[in-house]
Parts: sequence; C-alpha cells; structure tokens
Amino acid sequence: MTRPKLAIAGLTACSGCQLTLLNCEDQLVDVARLFDLVYFPMGESGSDPDAVFDAAIVEGAVSTPADVELLFGLRNASHLLVAFGTCALWGGVAAMNNKVSGRDELVRQVYGDSGRIESFPPSPMGNFVSIDFAITGCPPEKHDLLALLAAVLAGTLPPLQSYPVCTECRSRENLCLLLEKGELCLGPIIQGGCNARCPATGIVCEGCRGPVREANVAQELELLLERGFDRKEIERRMSRFTPEWDYGKRR
Amino acid sequence: MDKKYLKNGQFSEFIETLRLFGDLHGPTMSDTGVFAFSPVSDPSQLRLDYQRTQIPPKKYLLPFREEILSYREGNYRQSHHHTPEIILFGVHPCDLDGIAYLDRVFLGDSPDPCYAGRRARLTLVGLSCVPDDFCFCSGLAEPPTCDLFLTLQGDGFKVDALSARGKEIAQAAKDLLSLEATGATVPLQRTGITAQDPQLRFSDNPLWDKFATTCVSCGACSVCCPTCYCFDVREYPSLDGGGIRLREWDNCLFVTHGEVAGANFRGSRLERLRYRFLHKYCGFTPLQGMTSCVGCGRCKEVCPVDIDLRELTVNPDQGTESP
Repeated sequence: MTRPKLAIAGLTACSGCQLTLLNCEDQLVDVARLFDLVYFPMGESGSDPDAVFDAAIVEGAVSTPADVELLFGLRNASHLLVAFGTCALWGGVAAMNNKVSGRDELVRQVYGDSGRIESFPPSPMGNFVSIDFAITGCPPEKHDLLALLAAVLAGTLPPLQSYPVCTECRSRENLCLLLEKGELCLGPIIQGGCNARCPATGIVCEGCRGPVREANVAQELELLLERGFDRKEIERRMSRFTPEWDYGKRR
Repeated sequence: MDKKYLKNGQFSEFIETLRLFGDLHGPTMSDTGVFAFSPVSDPSQLRLDYQRTQIPPKKYLLPFREEILSYREGNYRQSHHHTPEIILFGVHPCDLDGIAYLDRVFLGDSPDPCYAGRRARLTLVGLSCVPDDFCFCSGLAEPPTCDLFLTLQGDGFKVDALSARGKEIAQAAKDLLSLEATGATVPLQRTGITAQDPQLRFSDNPLWDKFATTCVSCGACSVCCPTCYCFDVREYPSLDGGGIRLREWDNCLFVTHGEVAGANFRGSRLERLRYRFLHKYCGFTPLQGMTSCVGCGRCKEVCPVDIDLRELTVNPDQGTESP
C-alpha cells in the first residue's frame, strides 16, 4: 500500500493546531509509519517545493501575502485541503478585532513606526480557496484529527457531526450555566463535538469551535439581552473566535 | 395477607437489601446541584424529594453514544457491552411510562440487541411522586410497569411487588416489611395529554411561527425527553485498518436530521417543529394514535425560550382544548 503524502502547515496562527498532532503520542508511531509526511516545517520535515500531496492539513488565518502564496501552493499541490482549526475556518482569535481597529494602527503599535510588515485583516482560508474538509476547534480535538487521518487512509472523509454544545452538555448532566446561573454562555449557537469540555467544569462556552450550522443567532442575542447582558459585551464575547456573525440570522 | 409496608426506620436496611440484587442506582444530586440518576454507595445519597432528573433513565438503556459494531479485514462483529445488573431505585411514574414506551420501540418485532441486553439486566423500583408546576402526566399506569413500586404514605411506604423479580426482592426484604399500614395514600390530580390529531400540525395557529422564530435548536428538549430515541449512525475507520460504527442520540430539531443526498425532508425549523409534534403527540406507525409524551415536564423546564408544544393543542380562538 502506498503511504498517503501529507502536508501539515500553518498560516497566521499560534501553531497550537499542529501541536494537536504531536500531542497524539499514542498514535504518532502509526502515523509516521502509515503516512509520508512530505511537508511539515513545524515537525522539521523537508520541504520539497515540487511535492504533491494527498492531503494538506492547514491551520491558521490568512493575513499576509506569504500566507496567500503558501495557501495557493498547497491548494494546487494537494488532492484534499483541510482547514484545520478555528482560525483556518472562521478567522479565530487573530481576527477578533477586525471590526474595531485599523490594520495600520495595529501594525504600528506592534512593530513601531519603522516596522515594515505587509499585513491585512486575518480571514478564513475559505475566502481564498475551496476547502474539502474542516476540523474546527481552538485547539481541535485529537480524536477529530485522528478520524480524519484514518479516513484519508481508507480513501474517504469522516462523517460530519452537526449539533450545538448544549446537546453534549445536557447529556453530561451539567448544570446549565445559561439558564440556572444566568451566565453569558454561547452553547446554543456553537458547534459541539468537544463533549462540552468547558461547561462540564463550570466555565461558560466561549465559542471556540465557531457557529453551529443552523445557529439561531438573533434569538441567542435576544435571550442574552433579556438576561441583562450589554450588547457590546455580548458582541465582544461572540467575536472572540468568530469575527463575522450575522446577528439577524435566525436559521 | 401480604406484608407490604415499609417504615422509614427500616428504609436504609431495605436499600441495603436491594444491593444484593445488583449495582444500586438512584436519584442523587450532583456536585453542581443537578438531579441525576447515579450510583449510590450510601442510602443517605438518595434524594427522595427529587422532582425530575435532568436526563431520564433512558440513559441506562440507550446511552448517549455507543459502539454498535466493529469491522476488520472484511468482517464485522457486533459490539458486546458487559452491562452489570442494575437496580434503578426511585423512578417516578412518568419515567416508568417512558421506559414502557421505549420497550415497545426497541423490543418490538425486531428487538435491538444493545437495548435488549441492557433491559434484561435492569430492575426498576418505582416511587410515587408529588407533581410540581411543570408536571402533566396521566398518573400511574395500572399496574405500574416496574418490578417493585413504593408509594409514599404516612411515615413510610407501601411496597408492591409487580414481577417475579420484584417478588424475589420483597421476599428477601420480608423481615423489614410489616402488615400494618404506614398511613394513608394521598390521591393525586393528574391532567395528562392525550394523543392528538395529526392534522393539528398543519393548523394555522400563530404559535407555530412564534416557536419556529424563537427555537434556538439547542436540542435540550429532545436530549432530556424520556421517550426521544432517534439516533444517528456513523462509521469511523481507524488507523489499524479496521473501524467502528457508533450510534449517538440525534434530534429531529436539527437541520441534519432530515437531510439526505441533495435534499432535506424538513429544511425549515417550522417543518421540524411540526414533525416533532407529529411524532410526540400523534405517534408513528405502528405506534400511531399513541402519544409518547409522558408529561414529565423536562422539555419545558430545560427550554431556554420557554417553548411548550402542548399550547398548540389549545384552540387560540376559544381557549379550549380542541377535540
């Protein structure tokens, strides 16, 4: 059997998603045996410019010309392109202030007046290229990555799950932080699959996995406003991982 | 005459006797203050004053997520779950009705092996209750669908053994039971909800639109429903070349539920709510004409936007229940 060729790369991001792979310690030996890791700069593999891939698993938002170049290169060289993590899929934390501050001002603050860096507001890679599969999460769940790798090996893609955090949260018999404690929990509109990690420990859902497909955003906004939260505070929290919300969306 | 009264003073010992028949589970309160059926190591953990648990006892028969088969090298085999004998203590009549309904679904013409295996090892000890504002059950089935039923009365309980298993337990506990009644049973007013006309789901009641606008599709009503049993089946290959197939609770309020290649049977939230009403209050073939709503009140209690589908059975013009 030929080993599928993989590229594992990052654009503008913290490398935490790629680290998810390295954290799969029990499976790393199998992954290295079963796949040809042709391009994995973070893991110090070589970077053959002429390589072609069966799958490119790419984290990060697009925010520099170099990001665009790398992304186009991987898209052209790979059969499958996988948006890996919340930044790749939704923009993520790097994009949280896209709406509130100008890029030039941010660059000046970070790099000083003499700093010369080409940068534009971070955005999801789907704005630039077509994506074949996405794994959400900040960081993504290990089991989602392993399910993808196993599916690629079997010549397919993993089945999709689509339900909000509340579904797993209720099934775990957690206390509802939204209804019972009146906290600003985003559970109803956020993609589940994390097994309600945060609410299970008493921390509200911050929305790190991005919107669930059918999120009733307008109603979530309404019920948070009814519970006395300030509109600005709600928007600030909602845009922490996903800058682009349609606050009027009901279906 | 049967000895069938249990005084409060004998209660702890009675619970210890139950333990002889399997792992004891019952209503407890979690660290965060949520009522839940969970393992009981000491009788003092039991919360007989509980109103309803967040998740109904269906979790003992149909877990949220379970592997149903595994495959490797062209062969597959059914997954075997080694469920211990469980004595589930303190189940209220609504939840007993819920299990009786699930039994019809999963133990009918072609029994579900995973469910059947767990059901055979589950002993149900029912407990009478005092309804609150969320409750709307139809009262206790006659006879109650459980092995043993305890009715709160005076300073103890009336104990009814309703199955061979129940009689076995009562026999083992006979020294704890007495002939003398512990007090009078208070009869309870029950309202219930009867099976509805399937056409009602197409009514022009303005509540349909209101509910479709406000429902956040969080799925809590269905997750917490004692008779919602829809599940999704997914298959995951594994790195070793094999794979597993699992099933997980699904929800008719999710857009994916009616989705097939290229289309969706119920693309809008309104259609999904109508469908939920149809299944819950009108019944599906072969259980058509049978409501599967047991009146436990969970859906109303857990809904973030206070949706109560029962309101649709009331004619908005007359304010009376439609025929």
